[in-house]
Amino acid sequence: MNARNIMILLSMAALYVAVPLLLGSNLYVMSLLVASMAIGGVALAWALLGNLGGMVSFGHAAFFGVGSYVSALLTMKLGLPVFAAILLGGVGAAVASVAMLPTLRLRGPYFALAILAYAQIFRILATEWQSVTGGSGGLSNIPRLPLIAGIDFGSKIGNYLVILTIVLIFALIYQRIRASHYGTALRAMHDSEDATRIVGVNSTFLKAMMLFVSAFMTGVVGAFNAHYINFLEPDYGFSGLWSTLPIVAAIFGGYRTILGPVIGAVVVYLVDQLVFKNFIPSGHQIMLGALLAGMVLFSPTGLLPWVVDKFRRTRDAPA
Amino acid sequence: MLQLDNVTVRFDGVTAVNGLTLSIAVDQVTGLVGPNGAGKTTLFNAISGLVRPSAGRIVFDTVDVLKAPVYRRARLGLGRTFQVPQPLNGLTVRENLLVAQRFGSGSVTASRLNEILDFVGLAGKAARDAGSELSLSELKALEVGKALATNPKLLLLDEVLAGLETTGKRRFMQMLKDMHAKFGVGILIIEHDIETISNLCNRVAVLNFGELIADGTPDEVFRDPAVIKSYTGAEHA
Repeated sequence: MNARNIMILLSMAALYVAVPLLLGSNLYVMSLLVASMAIGGVALAWALLGNLGGMVSFGHAAFFGVGSYVSALLTMKLGLPVFAAILLGGVGAAVASVAMLPTLRLRGPYFALAILAYAQIFRILATEWQSVTGGSGGLSNIPRLPLIAGIDFGSKIGNYLVILTIVLIFALIYQRIRASHYGTALRAMHDSEDATRIVGVNSTFLKAMMLFVSAFMTGVVGAFNAHYINFLEPDYGFSGLWSTLPIVAAIFGGYRTILGPVIGAVVVYLVDQLVFKNFIPSGHQIMLGALLAGMVLFSPTGLLPWVVDKFRRTRDAPA
Repeated sequence: MLQLDNVTVRFDGVTAVNGLTLSIAVDQVTGLVGPNGAGKTTLFNAISGLVRPSAGRIVFDTVDVLKAPVYRRARLGLGRTFQVPQPLNGLTVRENLLVAQRFGSGSVTASRLNEILDFVGLAGKAARDAGSELSLSELKALEVGKALATNPKLLLLDEVLAGLETTGKRRFMQMLKDMHAKFGVGILIIEHDIETISNLCNRVAVLNFGELIADGTPDEVFRDPAVIKSYTGAEHA
């Protein structure tokens, strides 16, 4: 077994065994970890769309909200099992992204603004379609994650294990796409779109696929979150925070890397909740802006690339 | 066979290509010449799909390519290079060719890819970053390599020799001559240098103000008074 595989094994052991054992009894910290991992999942999906699809989105709240509503309604109105509904929540978000396909013709800030508008449309739909969504009153008593084979996935540790698994599967999918021929073509498309089309790359199709994948991932996280907090209303499900926090996390952690956005989410959210909130109980998010600006000035590529670079320099330094 | 029937391209009232009818065989090297602004690159853009003709038909191997998007034209076997090289930035030289191979018309093997790298003189630079670590002549070679990797039947070369110094130009000329024979690919080349066109092409078409004013062998075309008058080839007459 090589050093890389040993590192992966140790990390898995730490995440799946050490964290629950050491922190499992502290429900507050576990709830912070679950929330930060959920933001990390969205941040990873956002970074995938940006890195591979070349699109900057300010509207991931739309996918998050659609995923959460689809999953909640499928369990509450049709009685579907929660895990199946979570997956269908992702499918619902991917289907919703079809409405955004016309925006793929737009570039740069125009795409970002158009997708932001879509997020508002979905929020209004959820508010006005009272007979299905419950309107602004929202949905309560959304089924929690189930007990399967003696494991209570609805507990704090169970929730943590589920969101951790979701995020790691997404990271694996992201890595596989990036390493494929499609990933290579997608990376080239950013500033050479005509040049890629001229050698046979169907750039619109590939961008649409990345939008679907990113929407699906975000929808799954939104669906998970609905069953985690057991309550949903349009202003929460489609909150702009589900668009902005993942962006902050991804840029802070290193949006060009696969795990940077997740690490960024955990660091940013924990620092915000455990440190900033103590100093500024109301409006503590303002510190996130300062934190992000500091990171961009200190290491424009983000936290993870900085750590990796430091590690390599230390390792390769002459004794 | 690439068949252009009455192709017209207009931009905001300016007619760049005007009712052009021309057949290009895929078993020969055809030159496309004409003064600046004659509509040569616009015609390439129309054939490869980057601009949409206002009128006319473009048929390649019995397929009406005007109905096909840019990427599908490449898959049909229409390769092209750009006058200003457009490498796939962020990728290495080899990755540039891999993308072209994977998404092009699809029957290029890994060994063929190495053969192409070797042929265009980039075998030793395959790991370099295409966007930042290549000279102009290497970028031009990469343009040709990418186009070859799509396994084209007809290759549209847009001033591949422009900007190269004498030695580089001579090497490139030899490469283009060998390419036709080695890869069995037809070539339609835009070039200003008449000597190059005369050495390389079986046939030459001349455009002026978007219209075809001559079509024939290099000897015939460059003796044509209309060509001499319109094109700066007077010294060749």
